[in-house]
Amino acid sequence: MRIGKHGRAGAVVMMTTVITIVLGCSKRAVPDQDTKSERADSFVIYTVNYPLSYFTGRMAPAGAQVVFPVPEGIDPAFWNPSADAVQDFQAASLILLNGAGYAQWTRYATLPRARILVTADGCRDGYLHTEQSVRHQHGPEGAHAHSDLAFTTWLDLRLAVCQASHVRDVLLQRLPDAKDSITAGFETLEQDLLDLDARLRVVGRASKGRPLLASHPVYPYLADAYGLSIQSLHLEPDQTLRGDDWKRLDAILKERHAEWMLWEAPPLEATKAGLSQRGVTTVVFDPAGQPPVGGGDFLSVMKANVDRLECAVGVKACR
Amino acid sequence: MKDSMYLAWRYLCHHRAKTLLLVLSLSVFLGLPLIMRAMSRATQRSLLDRAEATPLLLGKKGSSLDLVVEALYFQLKGAEAITEADVDAIQATGLALGIPIRTGLMARGFPLVGTSLDYFRFRNLRIAEGRGLAMMGECVLGTEAAKTLGLGPGDALLTSPSTLFDLAGVYSLKLNVVGVLQPSYGPDDEAVFVDVRTAWVAEGKGHGHQDLAGAGPDLVLKRKAGTVTANAKLLQYNEINESNVDSFHFHGDPSGYPVSAVIAVPHDEKSGVLLRGRYVDAEARQLVRPARVVDSLNKQIFRFERILEIVVWTVGLATAVMFVLVMVLSWRLRAEELRTMTRLGCSRWKAAQIMGSEIVIMVGASIFIAGVFGIVMAQYGETWLQNLILRGA
Repeated sequence: MRIGKHGRAGAVVMMTTVITIVLGCSKRAVPDQDTKSERADSFVIYTVNYPLSYFTGRMAPAGAQVVFPVPEGIDPAFWNPSADAVQDFQAASLILLNGAGYAQWTRYATLPRARILVTADGCRDGYLHTEQSVRHQHGPEGAHAHSDLAFTTWLDLRLAVCQASHVRDVLLQRLPDAKDSITAGFETLEQDLLDLDARLRVVGRASKGRPLLASHPVYPYLADAYGLSIQSLHLEPDQTLRGDDWKRLDAILKERHAEWMLWEAPPLEATKAGLSQRGVTTVVFDPAGQPPVGGGDFLSVMKANVDRLECAVGVKACR
Repeated sequence: MKDSMYLAWRYLCHHRAKTLLLVLSLSVFLGLPLIMRAMSRATQRSLLDRAEATPLLLGKKGSSLDLVVEALYFQLKGAEAITEADVDAIQATGLALGIPIRTGLMARGFPLVGTSLDYFRFRNLRIAEGRGLAMMGECVLGTEAAKTLGLGPGDALLTSPSTLFDLAGVYSLKLNVVGVLQPSYGPDDEAVFVDVRTAWVAEGKGHGHQDLAGAGPDLVLKRKAGTVTANAKLLQYNEINESNVDSFHFHGDPSGYPVSAVIAVPHDEKSGVLLRGRYVDAEARQLVRPARVVDSLNKQIFRFERILEIVVWTVGLATAVMFVLVMVLSWRLRAEELRTMTRLGCSRWKAAQIMGSEIVIMVGASIFIAGVFGIVMAQYGETWLQNLILRGA
C-alpha cells in the first residue's frame, strides 16, 4: 500500500510534466517594389534605336544617363545582343522600345516588363505592314506568315512626337523632381519635329502622287503620313546592282515611271549613273536609325533629308 | 539524493529492455502532440508568409484555393488558365505590376514555372551561381532542384513530355541552365524558372523550324500563291540557341496565350483597393487576396488538428495509465527487494526517493528523445507536411 503511494506520486509527476518546445523559424520574403520617385543621377535609360536615344537625350534631366548600346555599323533593327548586353538592358532603370516589331531581339530576350515602355504603342490604330512574306503551313495550325511590320515609325514625325510624349510621360512619372527640365526639353523637341513635319507635308502635296522608288522597305510611315507614293525594292547602297536587279528595276519603271528613288545612304556612283540614264534622280533619305557617323544628330540628319526631298520635288531651290 | 539516483540508474541499466520500452512509449506520448503542433504551426506560418507576401492574384473564376495553390506553391491543381491579355490589362490599369505565372509542365520531376523577370525581383530571389534569364530557351534552377538534379550553369535540362504516347504531340524542349538561385526556403527552391515564352514553346504554342521560303522540294508538299505547305520532314528545333532563336515564332495573337495566374503588385494600398474594385463584378475572372485564402485553409487545418489532438491525447492518456500500471506492478513485484532494503536500514523515504529517481530518469530521457525528434521533424517535416496539405487541399 505504501508502495502504491509512491506509484501515485510518480504518476502525478509524470502527468504534470509540462514541456514547451519552441520550434520552427520561417524566413519571410519581402517584395522589393520599385520606388515611385527616383534620383536622376542614378537613372539609366536604355534605348533600342538612335531616334529614341536622341529624343530622350533632349528631355532627360542632368545626371540621367541615356544609353544606346548598339555598336556602330550594325542596324539596330537586326542587332543580336549577347547575354551580357541583354543583362545590361535588364539592369536599366527604364528600357525604351520602339514598337512595331522593331529590334527583333526583344521578341526572345527576357526583359523586365515593369521597366519597359513601348513608345509607339497607342500612337496610331495599327502599325503598317511591309510586303507580305511567304505564307507557310506545317502541322495542324494552318497557313501563317511571320510578322512583317514596318518599323521606322519615327519617319512620320507626328508619330515621332507621340513617341517622345510617351517618353516624357514616363520620365515625369519616374523623375517628378525634374518636371521643369523634362517639360521644357519636350516642348523644344516637339517644335523641331513639327517644323520638319510641316515641311514634309508641303513636299507631299508638291509630289502630287507622282511615284517614287525606295531602295528598301523602310519608308511606309513616311509615305503614309505625307501622301507619297513609294514602291520599295531590296537594294543595298554599297553593293553593285546586278543584271537581275536592273531588269526588275526596268520592269517597275515601265509600270510606274518614277522620277526619284530614295536611298538610305548614297549609292555607288555606277548605280547613280545607271539610275540617271533611266531618268531617275537619286535622293538620299537616311532613316537615322543609327547616329550619324560624320557628326551631327537626328535633327540635322532629318533636316538634310527634308532639304533633299524639297529640292527633288521642286519645293525649294537645290543647294 | 545522488546515491538514490545512482541506485535508480543501476536498476534501470540492469532492466534494459523494460526501461527502453517504457522510455520509448513515454517519448511517443510526450512528443507526438508537441511535434504535431510545432510542425503544423511552422507549416501554417510558412504557407501564410508566402501568401502574405503576394498582395493580389488574378485567375479564372472558380476555386480560389486551387488558384493560390497552383500559382504560389506550384502544386499542379489544374486551375483553368487565363490569358496574356490579362497581364496586359493589369499593367494597363496603371495601378499594379502584373507578373505572369505559367505552370503545368514539369522538368525531371520539378515544376516548370514560366514567368517574367519581375518575379525574381518581387520575391527577392538572387542568383547564387551563373546568371539570370536573358534569352528564350534558358532556365534558372531553384537551389533544391539544382542540388537534386546535380545541374548547374552550362548544363541542359529536358522538359518532361506532356504527351508521352502521342507521337504527333509536343516533344521535350532542351533548356539551357544558366543559373542557380540562392536558397529562399520556400517553393521557389524546388522550381525550374523559364521565361513565360519559353513555357509556351515547351507547351507547343510556339516553335522554330527551318526556313521554308528557301526550302527544297524534299520538304515541300505544295507551294502556291505565296503559301508553302511543308511535309513531315521539316526539321523543328527542340532546343533554342543563339543560332536558331530568331526562327522561333508564335502562331496567332500572343495575347491569347495561356497563363495560369497573374500576381498583381499594386503600387500602393489605394491602387490595390481600386484594382480589387475593378474585378468585383468580373464575370470570368477573380482577383483574390492569397493571405485570406490561406488563412481560411489554415483555419480548416486548425479544426482538423484539434480533432487529431483529442485522439492523440486520448492515446497518450492510455499510454500514461499503462505506464503507471507497469510501474505499480513493478513495485509490487519488487516488494521483497524493498523489504530487504528496509531491513538493511534504508528508510521508507529513501526507498521512495530511489523509485522517484527511476521515474525522473525515464521521463527525462523521454523528454530528450521527444525534443530531438521534434527538432528534426520541424526542420525536415515542414516541407513534407506542406506538400501533404497542399496536395490534399
